[in-house]
Amino acid sequence: MNKQLTFLMCSPRGDKSASHSIGSYLVSLFEEKEIIVKTFGVYKTLKNQEKTEEMIKSIDDSDIVLISSPLYIDQAPYMTIKLMDIISEVFQQGKLSNKTRHLFAISNAGFLEYYHNSLVLKIYEQFAKKNDLIWAGGLPIGAAGTYATYPIPEFLKMMEQLPEDDYRQEIYNKPTKILDSVIRSSVKHLSKGEIVPKDDLQKLEFIPMPLESYVKGANSTWPEAAKQFGAEDKLRDKPYER
Amino acid sequence: MSYVILNGMYKDDSFIPEVNQIVSEEFQQMNYKGATLILHDKEIKPCLGCFKCWVQTPGICIIDDYGREVAKKMIQSDILVYLTPITYGGYSAELKKAVDRSLGLISPFFRVYENEIHHEMRYDKYPHLVVIGTLDEPNTEQEEIFETLVKRNVLNLFCEKYSTLVIYRGDDEDAIKMKIKSGLAEIGVKR
Ligand SMILES: Cc1cc2nc3c(=O)[nH]c(=O)nc-3n(C[C@H](O)[C@H](O)[C@H](O)COP(=O)(O)O)c2cc1C
Repeated sequence: MNKQLTFLMCSPRGDKSASHSIGSYLVSLFEEKEIIVKTFGVYKTLKNQEKTEEMIKSIDDSDIVLISSPLYIDQAPYMTIKLMDIISEVFQQGKLSNKTRHLFAISNAGFLEYYHNSLVLKIYEQFAKKNDLIWAGGLPIGAAGTYATYPIPEFLKMMEQLPEDDYRQEIYNKPTKILDSVIRSSVKHLSKGEIVPKDDLQKLEFIPMPLESYVKGANSTWPEAAKQFGAEDKLRDKPYER
Repeated sequence: MSYVILNGMYKDDSFIPEVNQIVSEEFQQMNYKGATLILHDKEIKPCLGCFKCWVQTPGICIIDDYGREVAKKMIQSDILVYLTPITYGGYSAELKKAVDRSLGLISPFFRVYENEIHHEMRYDKYPHLVVIGTLDEPNTEQEEIFETLVKRNVLNLFCEKYSTLVIYRGDDEDAIKMKIKSGLAEIGVKR
């Protein structure tokens, strides 16, 4: 019988999000391995009782639960915590059947450094522990916004066009190739009912460019984004100053 | 001096209101002015992740509901208290709902601070932070996560002083009072 996976997409930004983009990439690789995937956009699902029950049923039937969530203020957003509360409640009430289920998580941060996600991955691990899920590990993704704009396969194709001595090889192409290989290895292990080895996940523990370069790049985007609202001169306003 | 307590209890919790009462009394005895916001009672929609509090109406969330009021009270107080059941090592959903909506209190601009990327300050002054978590019983793993989380939050929220307390449901009133007094003393609030 085919294995089943429930994909819980936890960003309010829907298919414009990094959580969707990266999670969906894993899903496509799981499907290649003939794993049946059911996807739930958590913001829409939890608004609707029937959909919520469908999600619980899917988790009940699943061998793998995949959470892909943004990082909000060093931890999971409200809705991801609420999701964990709902699953915990159902589990505590003894409404989930006895079955081996693995939990794997993708945490998507805006900052460059992977380690801003370290704590939330530990929180997901505690959630797993509380609910008899086997913690299979997680991907700590920094600068995740890149993959919201360019899905990983597309990004790698774009990078293929670059000359070998282009500076972007080192700061974009190489890191994305490493991420891709870790994702592929995660999917391989999870598909076989195994946890992802820590050594594999630790390959993501590097910082791909000088922090100052990332800061400079990011800071140039805000005035540009504010321009369309005529707010470029108000970015440093203090509306609630005492 | 002023305080605000963001009470992130779940509806059926009977223990956190007791803790809340003790914290409020401590502040009142020292003539601090302030209030408790029971977050599950309030209409606070979830953050949309749109960053419009940075680029469209800088400093103010685009959603016009009580979430705005909470953010305003947070930045206008001298002492900010988070009160929450420790949930998988982190904050409760009820507390997090309000905290997510306070993103506009910081500036969108990044900077390197203590060798890490963080944001620039929007305001000149941020409140001191006291985070009180409750647990049914001691849990080393979750307490470690909780304490680290508060440290990380402080870096992102520019709090000059902070303290973290863990209160167990089995603690009696005197033990709770002691913990709260020492937590407040850590940030300089004492009689
Ligand atoms: C309310 C809020 C809080 C955030 N806090 C953090 C944070 O603490 N650290 C960080 O690296 N990024 C933070 N971010 C940025 C998001 O993690 C980043 O934009 C991520 O890529 C969003 O994922 P998504 O596209 O799947 O929604 C925050 C964003 C929002 C809206």
